[in-house]
Amino acid sequence: MLRTGERFSNQNVFGFYMCCVAVLQVRVQYWPSQDIAVELNSSNQRKDHQEAHSGQQTSQFAESSTFIKILLFYVIFYGCLAGIFIGTIQVMLLTVSEFEPKYQDRVAPPGLTQIPQVQKTEISFSASDPKSFEPYVKNLEKFLKDYSADQQTESIVFQDCGDIPTDYKERGPYNDAQGQKKVCKFKREWLENCSGINDPTFGYKDGKPCILVKLNRIIGFKPKAPVNESLPPEVMAKYNPYLIPVHCAAKREEDADKIGTVEYYGMGGYAGFALQYYPYYGKLLQPRYLQPLVAVQFTNLTYDMEVRVECRAYGQNIQYSDKDRFQGRFDIKFDIKSS
Amino acid sequence: MVKEASEMGSTNSSSKAWHVVYKIIKIWNVMIIEAVPDVHHNTKTLFLLQKKSDVYSVEDLWDKRSRKTDIGDEEEKYKDLKGNKKKKAEDLKKEVELDDHKLSASELEEKYGTSVNKGLSSARAAEILARDGPNSLTPPKATPEIVKFLKQMVGGFSILLWIGAVFSWISFGIQLAQGAESPFDNLYLGVVLALVVILTGIFAYYQEAKSTNIMASFSKMIPQQALVIRDAEKKELPADQLVVGDIVEIKGGDRIPADIRLIFTQGCKVDNSSLTGESEPQSRSCDFTHENPLETRNIAFYSTTCVEGTATGIVINTGDRTVIGRIASLTSGVGNEKTPIAIEIEHFVYLVAGVAISIGVLFFIISVSMRYKILDSIIFLIGIIVANVPEGLLATVTVSLSLTAKRMAKKNCLVKNLEAVETLGSTSIICSDKTGTLTQNRMTVAHLWFDNQIYSADTSEDQTTQPFDQSSPSWTALSKIVTLCNRAEFRPGQENLPIMKRVVVGDASETALLKFAEVILGDVMSIRARNRKVAEIPFNSTNKFQLSIHETDDPNDKRFLLVMKGAPERILERCSTIMINGKEEPLDSEKAEAFQTAYMELGGLGERVLGFCHLYLPEDEFPDTYPFDTDSMNFPTSNLCFVGLLSMIDPPRSTVPDAVSKCRSAGIKVIMVTGDHPITAKAIAKSVGIISATSETVEDIAKRLNIPVEQVNRREATAAVVNGMELKDMSLQQLDEILCNHSEIVFARTSPQQKLIIVEGCQRQGAVVAVTGDGVNDSPALKKADIGIAMGIAGSDAAKNAADMVLLDDNFASIVTGVEEGRLIFDNLKKTIAYTLTKNIAELCPFLIYIIASIPMPIGTITILFIDLGTDIIPSVALAYEKAESDIMNRRPRNKRKDRLVNEQLAVYSYLQIGIMQSVGAFITYFTVYAEQGFLPSTLLGVRVDWENNAINDFEDSYGQQWTKYQRMYLQWTGYTAFFVSITIQQVADLIIRKTRRNSIFQQGLFRNKVIWVGIFSQIGIALILTYGLGHVTALNFTPLRFQYWFVAVPFAILIWVYDEVRKLFIRRYPGSWWDKNMYY
Repeated sequence: MLRTGERFSNQNVFGFYMCCVAVLQVRVQYWPSQDIAVELNSSNQRKDHQEAHSGQQTSQFAESSTFIKILLFYVIFYGCLAGIFIGTIQVMLLTVSEFEPKYQDRVAPPGLTQIPQVQKTEISFSASDPKSFEPYVKNLEKFLKDYSADQQTESIVFQDCGDIPTDYKERGPYNDAQGQKKVCKFKREWLENCSGINDPTFGYKDGKPCILVKLNRIIGFKPKAPVNESLPPEVMAKYNPYLIPVHCAAKREEDADKIGTVEYYGMGGYAGFALQYYPYYGKLLQPRYLQPLVAVQFTNLTYDMEVRVECRAYGQNIQYSDKDRFQGRFDIKFDIKSS
Repeated sequence: MVKEASEMGSTNSSSKAWHVVYKIIKIWNVMIIEAVPDVHHNTKTLFLLQKKSDVYSVEDLWDKRSRKTDIGDEEEKYKDLKGNKKKKAEDLKKEVELDDHKLSASELEEKYGTSVNKGLSSARAAEILARDGPNSLTPPKATPEIVKFLKQMVGGFSILLWIGAVFSWISFGIQLAQGAESPFDNLYLGVVLALVVILTGIFAYYQEAKSTNIMASFSKMIPQQALVIRDAEKKELPADQLVVGDIVEIKGGDRIPADIRLIFTQGCKVDNSSLTGESEPQSRSCDFTHENPLETRNIAFYSTTCVEGTATGIVINTGDRTVIGRIASLTSGVGNEKTPIAIEIEHFVYLVAGVAISIGVLFFIISVSMRYKILDSIIFLIGIIVANVPEGLLATVTVSLSLTAKRMAKKNCLVKNLEAVETLGSTSIICSDKTGTLTQNRMTVAHLWFDNQIYSADTSEDQTTQPFDQSSPSWTALSKIVTLCNRAEFRPGQENLPIMKRVVVGDASETALLKFAEVILGDVMSIRARNRKVAEIPFNSTNKFQLSIHETDDPNDKRFLLVMKGAPERILERCSTIMINGKEEPLDSEKAEAFQTAYMELGGLGERVLGFCHLYLPEDEFPDTYPFDTDSMNFPTSNLCFVGLLSMIDPPRSTVPDAVSKCRSAGIKVIMVTGDHPITAKAIAKSVGIISATSETVEDIAKRLNIPVEQVNRREATAAVVNGMELKDMSLQQLDEILCNHSEIVFARTSPQQKLIIVEGCQRQGAVVAVTGDGVNDSPALKKADIGIAMGIAGSDAAKNAADMVLLDDNFASIVTGVEEGRLIFDNLKKTIAYTLTKNIAELCPFLIYIIASIPMPIGTITILFIDLGTDIIPSVALAYEKAESDIMNRRPRNKRKDRLVNEQLAVYSYLQIGIMQSVGAFITYFTVYAEQGFLPSTLLGVRVDWENNAINDFEDSYGQQWTKYQRMYLQWTGYTAFFVSITIQQVADLIIRKTRRNSIFQQGLFRNKVIWVGIFSQIGIALILTYGLGHVTALNFTPLRFQYWFVAVPFAILIWVYDEVRKLFIRRYPGSWWDKNMYY
């Protein structure tokens, strides 16, 4: 960790030099021309100019030595500054833990994101044209690679956390005194139709697109299961005290009937994130952490029109914001063409 | 024109005899003031003295006569210098052709279709008015307000900012067309930039308008009235309704409403000082006395004043065609010089714009070649421009200048043109008019001679006593003559005013004597009442003396006292005895010699000398009832008793000698340029120190060594007195030589055109020239000068209009204040600019590193504007209040070619040293904020594309946490705020170090300039408000910041301070060293 910091600093100092050199060049180009312009301004000054000129020639040696002095000065000056800069950054890094960030007020509450990742959050394809959904499929495939059973064999790293949601799994303090922390397995099969095991196109070829929903990782963040009253009835039906439920619905009221049925696949058939995957211990302690997923399949979307879907995760400490449209929820557009 | 000149020449040589006749007419002026010959003619005898004075006055007259020809000649030279001034040259030629003074009254009536008794008919007058236009001077063409306003909008950095705004709008348009998510940022940025330009433009315009408005009040004059005969009736008309041919009546105290050929006069005298610089009122009559219209007595000129008497005349020229009008149009033809500070600011703007554009273009190319999108590159370009341009600086400079202007106004220097505030500081030559500027413009008794001894009188402005020895009985006798033989009287109702300020009815020398007597003896009027006047012969030009006979106030003494004053040699002729210590002694040749020496000495001081004598008439011959008859002169007027001499001069203001010596020590050359006579000019120059006590002119050396003037080595003479006539024959090279070789110069008898040429000569030497003056004759020079300084009280409107600065108290010493303030503001502007430029690097570096290293943007464009126009404004103005570091009045004026406002050292030190240090400090804060939030520095490199991608909402930080776009943006704004706060904190240190350039801050005193602290608190206050108060307004890109981040940059602020102290220490320790040369700005 420290080493990377050092490397960074060197690169950044290089950046500084670039900037300084640029300014210096500009200066060098600029000043002499200014002087000439000033001197040419008045013919009366010609005499002075000539004198100055002859003076210049005789003291050319002195001038070049002055230049070397200046150069030397700046080398030392910037050298010292670079040293101070690197030193200060190192000292600053010493005050920062390797395992958890000092502050998390900007990153929490967590964002909710979907796979495939798409520009302008629009999924647009034609079921009959594999080319049109290829990027989405690839994106999903790539993401799920880490979730394959053969990637989760090492028992030193992975731990079977059961098939039903349970309480948080505390794994001790946030340091490497006990070495790396184990992570819970997440079985790809749980995602059923959207696992890509049976259908490598994740339903896209049938016009029944899958998306994967995940909650952004935040070190030490323990999402709290929602209190009952706040939930939509569909979610209430499958309430589990150890589950952060996910629910997708039409963004606009008038789209409600165009969405059709929505299938959710997740751990033990629950449409949500089980609490035993939390808290997250960070990249250094859980390098192969698998965040819990929920697959959402839209099996009966209306074709040939834009349908806006909003998915939300529900929890007491999961909030939504008007400014941040990806905090605890996201919305995505589907535009499936029939031809 | 040339023909005219040669004709003049021949007239001169052939008409010497005529001049002698003329001299007699002009006796009062010539005999008494000018009779004193050039000092090198060491005349001993009375006869010779007179003879010499003839010669002198002939020269003098030729000089005057030739002056008008000069106008033509100089105009020609001027034309050669400037080209295309032909029209004006011809205008002035016409002036020479004026011949109305030669015509008789009836010829004039015919010429102008008027009648002396009936005047013009109203209908005819209206016709002529329609033809010639109103009788007023066309005001100089003012720049339309809208043009002034637009100039502010495009001047300076505005163009760069407009470019920035336009680019912003273009990229907004492109983004909008591409359907990007948040194109409005660029729209806002463009609007903000445009607003910045418009607001600073309005501000600068307002500031300028404010200072112009002060002047506008000056030009508003009470409409003048003239008494005109029209339709055979006397009418009061506004003077601008006058037309050629009108018959006007003027009386003492009136301003002459037009150029007038006099046809009837009664004791009329006019004050031509504003036209010719002669402080002496000139008498006017109906007679044609001189070929030259300016010299002849029967013409009175527009805008001069009638001092006494009455006159009637025909209007011969009106408005711009009057002599004054022509000088005024010459003035408006003279181009206004760019002020030194304007040149400096322009230079600075070029420099900064050059840096901004070079870096902008360089990084545009870099970013394009780094495969950034063109649109992004354009946005970078805008950022670089905004970061590089000190938006608030020009406004700050304006404020600083106007603060100084205000300060100077308090000290009675009113600045018309803001930029002129600094010009005085750069001034290396002051060409000062004499009358009214260096002198008090009133005759005052300067010396007395009685008992064979010269006594000096106090000539200061507020004299209340006279210090010389008044115990001698001779003085008692002399004082009696002074009191009694005097017709001047105080206007009633002035008892509470100081004597020197009271208004007197009477001519200049009688006024002087009256005030002199009043100061010493007290109530002169009651003394006169006690010594009843029984007979009087007023002064006239044939007698050349004034005489009166009084009863005495001693009741036991029944004798009458005859008192007489007049030209000393004429008085002496009538005396047979002389009073020494109260005793009458026979006037032998030894005593006459003593008189002669004293007379010469006083004359040599440029003073007007009067002789005084008296006689007690024997009681038996002249009993109480004796009928004195002044026509038959039935009383003795010879064999009188000579009592003493009094000499008078228009004395220098008491503050002037000190001011001149201060100018000297400040390396400023003071040159006197006057229309007055060389002797007077030289005497005043000597008494105020323009010619110092030890230096000699060529003539002085010749006199000392007793060799002809031609044999003197001109280089030995440090001083020079140059006559207008000599100047006329000089080539420009000769003039340059004089200006170069002599450190103390007096130009006498100069015409307006010659004043102009002298100013141009000085400017050719590379000097920044200040001209002071009050008369119309000064106005072309005032305009031409780098800074024209007009007198507020005595100054004519023409002079005030042409000037850049007005001295409200007419006090030359105020100029010294001006110089001091000017130099101080130059130094302080240097500090302000250095302060402002520094943070530009701290604003620029983030952009450059953002482009090169692809880190998240460290500081936003809007944030930069908040620094430039928010936190930094008050501190940079505060630097204008900084006291001088050393005695700025003891160094030479700056060399306008070498000592630039923004020199290489200043730019390099600010940009490449302090600026970089600031950037390092700010970046440390930036990296700290990011690291403590989860993005270690190593993670930040190269993330720009993903970081700014709206679709990526699970952006991973160094710890594996995932960030949505908005969370990242919010963090980025926190970064902006942190960067902003760091710059602000370090700018506090920057502000403190800029207080001095050479001295340690501790020498200067941390708390002496309280405004600096106001600046520091405002800076931090504004930053607090922006961060915590407006931290939730998304559009401003500020977020609340953890308190500890305010202190991250503090060590760097301290480092900056320490480094600068070390720099200054080395500069002080090793003057002239390599360090001094490269580190002192």
